[in-house]
Amino acid sequence: MPYHKRIPRVGIGGPVGSGKTMLIERIVPLLYDKGYRVGIISNDVVSKEDANRMKHNLATKRGLLAEELVIGIATGGCPHTAVREDPSMNLSVVEEMESKYNYLDLIIIESGGDNITTTFSPALADYFIYLIDVSGGDKYPRKRGLGIETCDLLVINKIDIAPYVEADLKTMENDAKQVRGNKPFVFVNSKGGQGIDEVVSYFIRDVLFEAPKNIQS
Amino acid sequence: MSTEISVEDLSFLQLSDSFFPTGLYTMSNGLEFIFHEKKLRSRDILELLKVYLKQQLGPADCVALGNAYDCAKKLDLQGLIEVDRTLYSMRLVEEIRNASVRSGIQLFRCAKFFVSQNKILNLYQQSVTNGYSSGIYPISFAVVCKSLNIPKHKAGLMLLYGFIVSVIGAALRLGILQHFDGQKIIHELKPFILASVKENIGKPLSGIWQFAPATDIIQMKHEQMDSRMFIT
Repeated sequence: MPYHKRIPRVGIGGPVGSGKTMLIERIVPLLYDKGYRVGIISNDVVSKEDANRMKHNLATKRGLLAEELVIGIATGGCPHTAVREDPSMNLSVVEEMESKYNYLDLIIIESGGDNITTTFSPALADYFIYLIDVSGGDKYPRKRGLGIETCDLLVINKIDIAPYVEADLKTMENDAKQVRGNKPFVFVNSKGGQGIDEVVSYFIRDVLFEAPKNIQS
Repeated sequence: MSTEISVEDLSFLQLSDSFFPTGLYTMSNGLEFIFHEKKLRSRDILELLKVYLKQQLGPADCVALGNAYDCAKKLDLQGLIEVDRTLYSMRLVEEIRNASVRSGIQLFRCAKFFVSQNKILNLYQQSVTNGYSSGIYPISFAVVCKSLNIPKHKAGLMLLYGFIVSVIGAALRLGILQHFDGQKIIHELKPFILASVKENIGKPLSGIWQFAPATDIIQMKHEQMDSRMFIT
């Protein structure tokens, strides 16, 4: 447990299947291109599947980060607990990462969940992104829930399939504005890449505190 | 019968509460593997836990805790380091060893947040920071208990009880037990926990031992599982 610098941490939470892992797979290459080095911790509900997928797609296949920088944490079936009321194991892994890889600019902590009450302990994450997708219906934002209401950035994913699931994006936009007040939200299509740049801009501005001109570069 | 109550009693409750953040809920201590292999019936859990108590937790963890507590009481950092290293070397399974260290470090980190100016807690943390001690859970637990003036035998009870509860919790989440069964098993184990603490808490470090090869192998097998809910 030697001395280590504190690396900024972003928590990404959201229901199972909302696209958290794919969002990370889209964000990391863009951050890499801008010179930012990232480590990833994945709290999986059941297995190390998501961590292994990211390891394959980002480390093995594309060489964007070292394989050991994608770490899966089993949560005993309690992903909410692992990032909220008892983040001990996550904190321990974060500190080990900070100690061994102090050149990192950012640590992303992903946590699955099965409802809209997920939040991250402020001791674990400096910035919290909550992800939902349109397939849950356009009522999702107005259902509120701690995740949707309190996150730093709400990401609404899979907008490309909105017409097929009869989700009205305008309704979602209006509801998100009402529920979140001045807090930001972004419409995203992780698969096609739409909106990903905007999410990355939030990372750079609000987490890494880079000057606006660097966001444009 | 004394009716005096104290802050130490509440500290005892605080540390023994599963809400206290040490990550124990992420561990099944091999139970997940046995369940996965379909080699476990709900009524076997009681017997399995007795084996853990008799062959590992009592003669190893409880003895280490007792010695660490005594060292903490005497502000004997060298002695504490020796107990820490001894127990660390006895944790044969890597994922169990790592998980125990992680929990131990997070335990005293948390305690340090609200226990101020405790000399042995500071010394032990420094020793872990400098790499002289591992921070393994039973030793950290002993130091934290001493820093809160929780009596040694109560610290022993909590350590063993906490382990039992974490395994029962895992069994509930795996669907092996229903919640009444879990409480019944905990109740049935109370005399065994008590006996184990009485027998082991005062033993010298030279008397430490463990022998549970089947559970070691189970825990090693857990490390190899492709899909799992629990860290151990």
